[in-house]
Amino acid sequence: MISSLYRRVRRFLTNIDATHRQKAAALTVVEMEELENIFALLLMGSFTGLPSPPTFLAVELLPFMERELRILCKRAESCNDMLAEMCGTIGID
Amino acid sequence: MKILFFTGKGGVGKSTMSAAMARQLSQQYRILIVSLDPAHNLGDIFGVALNHKKHRFTDSLYLKEINLQKLCRDYLQRETRVLTDTYRYLQTINLDNYFSVLKYSPGIEEYALLTSIEETLRSENDFDYIVFDTPPTGLTLRFLALPWITVTWIDRLIQIRRDILEKRHTIYRIRGVLDDKETILSYDEDDDDILKRLKKLKGNYQTLSSILQGEDCGIVLVYNPDTLSLKESKRLIDGLYELKLPLRLLINNKIQQKYTAMADHVDSAMRTLAPAIPIQRVAFSEALLDGQNSTLYDIEETLLSPFEMK
Repeated sequence: MISSLYRRVRRFLTNIDATHRQKAAALTVVEMEELENIFALLLMGSFTGLPSPPTFLAVELLPFMERELRILCKRAESCNDMLAEMCGTIGID
Repeated sequence: MKILFFTGKGGVGKSTMSAAMARQLSQQYRILIVSLDPAHNLGDIFGVALNHKKHRFTDSLYLKEINLQKLCRDYLQRETRVLTDTYRYLQTINLDNYFSVLKYSPGIEEYALLTSIEETLRSENDFDYIVFDTPPTGLTLRFLALPWITVTWIDRLIQIRRDILEKRHTIYRIRGVLDDKETILSYDEDDDDILKRLKKLKGNYQTLSSILQGEDCGIVLVYNPDTLSLKESKRLIDGLYELKLPLRLLINNKIQQKYTAMADHVDSAMRTLAPAIPIQRVAFSEALLDGQNSTLYDIEETLLSPFEMK
């Protein structure tokens, strides 16, 4: 009985800790994803009509770019309402 | 080892002049002459079939024509292999062969040319001179500019990549690992495949850039005594100056007796464009027109290497 209660309290406190840590890192996560998006956009600029680096550079790095390309696609989907996105990120309701 | 690039407008006689200089230098030195022009005629000039392999013409003169198509194909095959390895699971549903479409990527020729120069310089270091006969101005300037443009792009990409890794590290420090299923993103420079690849590429291009801009490399500009040739040479000189590539010799080729005034005019314009660069004059060879049995690399004039003139 006591040990079960102890486990629950412990899990509760752990969750609070995780939530706080996640909240604290949230903005940095957004910044990181934006940077990854920019990286992919610069490298694969020709997709969107941007000036792009020499083609072979994109070809050289393509095999390692899965994550960045996924973020690029996610950003492309959500860019209709970037203002709402940013407000959500910085906690304005 | 000295490196010479023969450049100029199409049809001015770059191949003939490079062949003639290579032949003359081979009396004293060990020479390799390499044709980078997709429309090769090095074999025609020396009257041999080259088949894209190094050919021994004399003990001190070797000839080679670069097979641009094969280089492009090899490069893209290599990249396609890496990509197919990464997406190996696609093999189970037979979709991996769709990556073969990469072979139609534009802009690969310049890269393939540059790679062939890099490989030649690395592997053929028992020669005293390597003479490159290049394609006409446009393509030549594009591939000579490639190391510089690429390093500029790579620098910027490395900077962004470092920022990404720094953010990843910060996130890891704040948040740690939330559960067992979470994949930890690499934040160390030595663990990041993209950064490692970028650094390796930068190293290669910086080395190549420093060779091309160095003391032992020289660009020889071949032109004809006519206005079009003069205008294109001006563009080429501007391009070389921007890329900090060392122009070392000018050759005014195909001078005819009756047009010497024009030749003088073009030479004086070239002296203004590139002061202190020596000019050599080569007369138009009548033997080429009247069908005499003449070897094309044999010219009457003595072509001095710009490195000998010092």
